[in-house]
Amino acid sequence: MMMLLLPHREEEEEGGAAGRRRFPINDNADLLAEVLGRLDGRSLAVAGCVCRLWSAVGRREAVWEAVCHRHVAVGRAGAAGGTRSVVAALGGYRRLYRLCIGPALDRLAGVRRQGPAVSSSSSAARHVSLSLALSLFSIDCYERLGGVGGRQQQPPASLLFLCKPVDVS
Amino acid sequence: MKRQHEDAGREGDCPVAMGLETGKGKMVPMMTTGDGECGVDELLAALGYKVRASDMADVAHKLEQLDVAMSSDDASHFPQFASDTVHYDPSDLSTWLDSMLCEVNSPLPTLLPSPTATAHCSNGHSLSISSNSTVTKDSTAAPPSASGVYDFEPVPSPAAASVGRVVYETDPQSEKILSPRDSKRIRTCSSSSSSGGPTKEVASFLKQATAALPVVVVDTQETGIRLVHALLACGEAVQQENLNAADALVKQISVLAAFQRGPMRKVAGYFAEALARRIYRHNPLPQADRVALDFLHSHFYESAPYLKFAHFTANQAILEAFAGCHRVHVVDFGLKQGMQWPALLQALALRPGGPPSFRLTGIGPPQTDNSDELQEVGWKLTMLSENIGIDFHFRGFLASSLADIEPQMLLEPEGKKGERDGGDEAVAVNSVMELHQLLARPGAVEKVLGTARALRPRIMTVVEEEANHNGRTFLERFTESLHYYSSMFDSLDNGANGEAEEEIEEQRRHREMADAYLGRQICNVVASEGMDRTERHETLGRWRERMAQAGFEPVHLGSNAFKQANMLLALYASGDGFRVEEAEGCLTLGWHTRPLIATSAWRIGAAAAIR
Repeated sequence: MMMLLLPHREEEEEGGAAGRRRFPINDNADLLAEVLGRLDGRSLAVAGCVCRLWSAVGRREAVWEAVCHRHVAVGRAGAAGGTRSVVAALGGYRRLYRLCIGPALDRLAGVRRQGPAVSSSSSAARHVSLSLALSLFSIDCYERLGGVGGRQQQPPASLLFLCKPVDVS
Repeated sequence: MKRQHEDAGREGDCPVAMGLETGKGKMVPMMTTGDGECGVDELLAALGYKVRASDMADVAHKLEQLDVAMSSDDASHFPQFASDTVHYDPSDLSTWLDSMLCEVNSPLPTLLPSPTATAHCSNGHSLSISSNSTVTKDSTAAPPSASGVYDFEPVPSPAAASVGRVVYETDPQSEKILSPRDSKRIRTCSSSSSSGGPTKEVASFLKQATAALPVVVVDTQETGIRLVHALLACGEAVQQENLNAADALVKQISVLAAFQRGPMRKVAGYFAEALARRIYRHNPLPQADRVALDFLHSHFYESAPYLKFAHFTANQAILEAFAGCHRVHVVDFGLKQGMQWPALLQALALRPGGPPSFRLTGIGPPQTDNSDELQEVGWKLTMLSENIGIDFHFRGFLASSLADIEPQMLLEPEGKKGERDGGDEAVAVNSVMELHQLLARPGAVEKVLGTARALRPRIMTVVEEEANHNGRTFLERFTESLHYYSSMFDSLDNGANGEAEEEIEEQRRHREMADAYLGRQICNVVASEGMDRTERHETLGRWRERMAQAGFEPVHLGSNAFKQANMLLALYASGDGFRVEEAEGCLTLGWHTRPLIATSAWRIGAAAAIR
């Protein structure tokens, strides 16, 4: 209900939940989810620190799915439903963003910042594709699976190359 | 501390001519050094000295002998040196030293270099001992004040000059010439001893060097050149079975390597160790147990993009070959930790049309301990497949060599064929850096390729190191591997601009393990022979020939694989140094201009299919 758009001349009350004609965003979690889904990853994570409601909504898989799809180049248009179940099985969109897409985007942004001195051949590749992100994600998920006899497992490290080193500049 | 560059046309130009990066201490592959083969050491030639690289060890020895001879009869000879007028051309150092030695050993007064040679020397080098070197100060061979002479001072005081040096009435200029040399490099093998005085310093210094006392070198670029020269000379010495010279050179290499930084130091260190093993005929590295090797291998996987590149490009080829098939079977010649397959499973799960039923046959070496690595990997992959909804079956085979596998073992058991729907299964064979190990045994690789063909695969993906480490002669293999591993270590060094960036502790550990992994390979290539030498890398061209002979024809890896590889490389910190290139349908990943690993795909050739 897009009642927010109605013009109103009454004085604004703070947090007026009884809102006769005010519809604070906190009243409508789905609307909140729609809005949050249009943020970038970092902002969304920050938004989760506002209040409990925002934290809960900000953790919804659907929200993070929207964020992921917004920031990666999707190769195939179809099989969205299939993607959802596979990603859920591997750990979810929020995790996917946190482990793979976010660091990858940061890395690429960092490279772009370093200047236009990049070779033309690789300039076309300066974006993350969903398939690549999912491949890396699946490898990480595989690494985290425990061994049979509960042997000492190496900590998963296949995504370490995306980690940002300490900034010494 | 002022450096004095006496002349323009000095060493500063030579490294540029050799194409080295300036001041980074990095090893750059030098295509031709002119060493050994054409005879004359290029650097010294630029200085006006003709010394053959193969003679350098001898020259070093002779200088040492000269020093001994001169220091033993100190008092008697020097005045004679001062007044003699016999001139020998010191540009042919070797002969000059011979003549010096003859005359020192006999009581005749020996030569003084001519004034023209002195002028020559103004372009030359003398050995310098940096005053920073505490070892020099502690050494007893040279008088302590000698190090003072080599301080970074424009002009040595006559008082200092007179101590421990030959007193020269005739040529005070030589002292001045000597001084600007101070700040310069070390020449352990060469000497521009144009005057008898510095000769003593030179020889005494050399004696220190051959006693393997480390000396601080100011210009690492220079020692870099020297290091490469020493390595190549040592390789040649080993080739010629001149083990004494090789021995001396190996010690030198160790000393020089200690003053390098970064990748050059590591490469030199590993090669020095491998050469030492070969020279002293230590037993080759004991076959480390599989757990340790897998451990190193997995760290190499984490720290460098090569294996990820290999897996991703091979997976893309397999994925495309399996399009439309409902039952697929992948045979992996070297399963190790199974890191290649999660990504393929995920891609198959998401392909349009839904996932096929997937069977994986993994081949691995027998375990020394009781753990069953292969089954564990199978179990993990099964769990992953269950999670993402793929019908998955796993079978493991233990085989100490791929040649022991027969095709019947791998094909589907007869009875089960009718049970499943969807018709015959499509087979893919995958080999990542496994085939080159078979070259140690004659006939093995042909047998394995025959086995692969007998499976009638839709596609066979082969990933191999792009290098020629299987040449006929030791020297060929040695120089090739020197270039290859220099590039490889360069690429692992984490900073794009040569300075090691800050790394997370874990990343550093991974890199150290990766270095050890490569070090083992180096040891195998250099120190082992015969059946022990399993790292017999060959170039893509040679593998193409072998595959063609075995009845395969090439399949072009598509643009998807190329794009994905580029995207993957873009994510690596030192991204711009890596290059993905396409060569006749095969993809290679390299560091700058040097390809280091190559992926190719094959299917059964039309002619062979008829059989």
